Amino acid sequence: MRDETRANLAFLHRVFRRRRVWYWGAWGLLALTWIAGIALLALSGWFITATALAGAGLLATLDLYVPSGGIRTAAISRTLARYFERLVSHEAVLRSLADLRGHSFRGLAALPMARVRAYRSGDLQTRLTSDIDTLDGMPLRVVGPMVAAAISLVVTLVIAIWLAPWPAAAVLAVSGLATLAVSALLALAGQRRSHALVQARARERIGLFDYIGGLAELLAYDRARGHEASLRRENATYARQQRAQEAFGVGSEQAVQAVVGASALLMLVLALGWYRDGTLSAPVAVLLPLMTLGLGEVLGSLPGAWWRAGESLKAAGRVQHLEAAGQAPAGAARPAPADHAPVLQAHGLTIGFHRERPLLGPLDLAPARGRPLVISGTSGRGKSTLLDTLAGELPPLTGRIALGGDDLDRISADTRYRHLSYLPQGLQLPDTSLRDILEPRHTHLSDAALWEALEQVDLADAVRGTEEGLDYRIGEAGSYLSGGQRRRLALAAILLQDRPVVLLDEPFAGLDPRTLERVLSRIGPWLNQRQCLLVTHAPESLPRDWPRLDLGRPAPS
Amino acid sequence: MPQPGETGAPPPDHRAAPGPWLRARQRPHRHWLVLSAASTLVATLATIALAGLVAWAVHGTLFAADPPYLPGILLGGLALLGLRYAAQALRDLAGHRLAFAVKQQLRTDLLQQVRHAGPARLAGQTTAGAWAEQFQTRVDDLTGYYARYLPARQAVILTPLAILAAAFWLDWLAALLLLLAAPLIPAFMAIVGMGAEQIHRRQQEEANRLAGHFLDRIRSLDWLRRARAITATEIEVVERSHQQRRLTMRTLRVAFLSSAIMEFFSAVAIGMVAIYIGFALFGAIDYGPAGDITLFTGLFILLLAPEYFLPLRQFAQSYHDRAGALAAAESLAPALASPNGAEASAAVTEVTGGDETDPLLKLEDVMVHYPGQRTPVLKHLDLEIQAGAHLALTGPSGSGKSTLLAVCAGFLPPTEGRIQRHARARHFAWIDQDAHLFHGSLRENLQLARHAMIPDAEMATALEQAGLPLDAPELPDGLDTAIGEARHGLSGGQAQRVAVARALLSGHRLWLLDEPTSALDVKTEEALLDTLFRLADTRGLTLVIASHHAAIHRRCPQQLELAPVTPETPHA
Repeated sequence: MRDETRANLAFLHRVFRRRRVWYWGAWGLLALTWIAGIALLALSGWFITATALAGAGLLATLDLYVPSGGIRTAAISRTLARYFERLVSHEAVLRSLADLRGHSFRGLAALPMARVRAYRSGDLQTRLTSDIDTLDGMPLRVVGPMVAAAISLVVTLVIAIWLAPWPAAAVLAVSGLATLAVSALLALAGQRRSHALVQARARERIGLFDYIGGLAELLAYDRARGHEASLRRENATYARQQRAQEAFGVGSEQAVQAVVGASALLMLVLALGWYRDGTLSAPVAVLLPLMTLGLGEVLGSLPGAWWRAGESLKAAGRVQHLEAAGQAPAGAARPAPADHAPVLQAHGLTIGFHRERPLLGPLDLAPARGRPLVISGTSGRGKSTLLDTLAGELPPLTGRIALGGDDLDRISADTRYRHLSYLPQGLQLPDTSLRDILEPRHTHLSDAALWEALEQVDLADAVRGTEEGLDYRIGEAGSYLSGGQRRRLALAAILLQDRPVVLLDEPFAGLDPRTLERVLSRIGPWLNQRQCLLVTHAPESLPRDWPRLDLGRPAPS
Repeated sequence: MPQPGETGAPPPDHRAAPGPWLRARQRPHRHWLVLSAASTLVATLATIALAGLVAWAVHGTLFAADPPYLPGILLGGLALLGLRYAAQALRDLAGHRLAFAVKQQLRTDLLQQVRHAGPARLAGQTTAGAWAEQFQTRVDDLTGYYARYLPARQAVILTPLAILAAAFWLDWLAALLLLLAAPLIPAFMAIVGMGAEQIHRRQQEEANRLAGHFLDRIRSLDWLRRARAITATEIEVVERSHQQRRLTMRTLRVAFLSSAIMEFFSAVAIGMVAIYIGFALFGAIDYGPAGDITLFTGLFILLLAPEYFLPLRQFAQSYHDRAGALAAAESLAPALASPNGAEASAAVTEVTGGDETDPLLKLEDVMVHYPGQRTPVLKHLDLEIQAGAHLALTGPSGSGKSTLLAVCAGFLPPTEGRIQRHARARHFAWIDQDAHLFHGSLRENLQLARHAMIPDAEMATALEQAGLPLDAPELPDGLDTAIGEARHGLSGGQAQRVAVARALLSGHRLWLLDEPTSALDVKTEEALLDTLFRLADTRGLTLVIASHHAAIHRRCPQQLELAPVTPETPHA
């Protein structure tokens, strides 16, 4: 548990260190804001007392303009410091957010496919986004106030030591430490309760799911009222706990303010005593308690800071977990196969999702380079699963797949896709321009090459019809294109990838016979130069001289 | 125990705008607002008294012939301090109590609403996940509005007014300075509100756009990995974030100005007050009350000046709570809207005690018309269900099979028509296409069928008859096996068998089944139907099954073929 906290802290430190200049700037400005506020109050008290004495003829000379200028300066610098503090801190956070997005994208990209798909379903995506947003609480709402409070406290301590006997500094130090301790203790106790609250909430969620999901049964068996009442009771208990938790927070805030107020009072009484002894002048005797009072704003931010530290750490744990999971398999990667145009082969291959229920196999596959191997079979036979397995995205149940002599599962994903193109059944294109789809690595292909690829899949005319041409955006999940256009666009991108092994799942779905003929005649030569496996439910529409593999009907279950 | 759901709040107008809706929800709990206003006032008065005490102590020590007794000042001050913070804590607690009461009532209403709406209507409106989200998160989003925003709004009026009154009494010129610094508090509030809302909205928009881009790239990770564009995309993601940052900062630089202006006024006002008092004390100003000013007055006003601006700042901070609550209210109000408000039911339902030969259920000229749809789902429908019948409701999807079954169950009151329900048909067993297994043990799931304790032996027999004997490998702990949510090893067919056992244990003779086999494969379907119809024959059950499966149609002697109602061909 403690190790975990340390690891999370280290992670946060790593993330935010990159922008440390900005954060220190923000914290410095926050300290300046607070110090200017304290100065404003303290100087004003000093000034009023001094003028009162001078007015009464008790003070021989008094320069009115220097102190009043000081008051004005404090007032203005407080405003300016506050304004720039907000700007700088937002700048810092937005910069860190950009870093974090890069980080977590890399982490996700390195995860195994199955894990990414698990993330995709459910609300994990949203949780990831909100976790990233919670992280920035750490530098701004936790560390920032503490650093700035420490700076402000030190400044007031120095002034107190300079102006007054030691008990004045002691009062300040004790009130600072007391608030720190009180708020830390309260936050710790509060967090223990919040753990129980989180669990109660999860339990409540189960009850709610049962209530909604089983409503018909509950109504039929006359249980709905009972279930409703018990949910209401549980919720009342939960809400009472939640309320106690909130009351705790409220109490700690007011307690800290009361501590500061009491210190200011104590300081007042001490300072007036010293004035009577003749140790202090009257204006300084007023300045000291007002300075202490000014610390209220500073120390009042500490309870909240402790409170938020827990949330940020938890979020850091989840984000870091993601990152760590992504880094593990990278170590097993092997260098690229030496062969320039490696060949894909499979021996004794069985595929599927459960070892007890293989979909297909055992199967030996060694398609020749040249003409594409057409794989067909009724739906549910495992055609797409076969391609997933051959592309190395799904582990085979038994058997071996080799790419250029190396086991496929020992080659890293990036190296694998250096030699292998895969057009899968479920295609999810990013929402970006045609140009970025065709040339996502920004390899400086000429526009002519891109147009040529579009021409080959018979999309060029459609693209010419748009105003934006290659800069045309395809919309979320490619929604501005038809399903067939999306597949052909992906095919064009695969043509440009120019890799020796090509796996295509229904590349020509939705094409009318004449277009299909045109596309086939244009990409035929390209296909004939590589090893290609093509899955289709309509093998009769493809050239008769291409070799066939019919997987037949589903195995009886 | 009081039943808050039945006797609680007067139902607020559900179609009201979110603002009035929020106010309507708080009306029955107004006393908490009174308490918070009173505590605010007490805290403010204690603050004023404390400032007076401190100013008097300083003044007395410096100028009075008989200097004040310092320990007495300390004790008196501590007492006032205690009063102030106790009152402030009370104010915050009152706010939280208000939020608590409103949320409690809201959740009670939501739960009750679900029961009244019934599964048929609910299925069209929401999913269990979305509903639970509403119940937990959306309702919690209201907390800030009631617990912080409303008390802060009271304080932003009460506290400055009280302080101004005290200042006017002492020195009207200083009070005037304070007043001018906050020219008109409502104007301030508007500025703050607009600023906060603008920042909130802009930032939200930018953040959403950015999150959308990020999520889009995560969704297309497979494609990007195959295209070997991961690194390029990572750079794009980061660059895009920075681009948004530059845009956001441009708006923020302007947006923060409004709150900076407020800060400026408050800081300058404190400074101005201090300088004015200083010059007046020095004797440099002798206009109006300035000539009579003392250190007591000066210090008193100076100490109160920060307190004067504090509520304004707190109000500004609580403003985003309001924005969040308004958004939540917008989604909560329709969820609570009464189902009967939209579709008035003119149907008559009566329960007959009649003799054994009367039909269990008799529907006459029943019509069901969902609000917002052009054609009714069911029209001019007559149906008689005799005891012991095996009736299949058939027809293409969308023809109203499930709707008719829901009408038979009483989950859905028809828009028009007449229903006669025999006393023996008041209770029925229900089996869905996906039997819901409740979180808990198998025993708890079966016990649901009846209020009286069911002995283990009877449960075992029922399971045996339903075709899921207790020694099945999927039930390692027998009746104590934990099932629910993910079914824990039970297949779809076995879950349906648990539902059959549950129905058996209920002892009800009328069984309503909604697509009971549509989630099963052919072999499992046949096996389950064998069990079902054997039970029906031995126990004399009445079965009404909505299904498009031929296997079911074959076994049912009676069938009612439903056709989708179209304007041209009214259903006969």
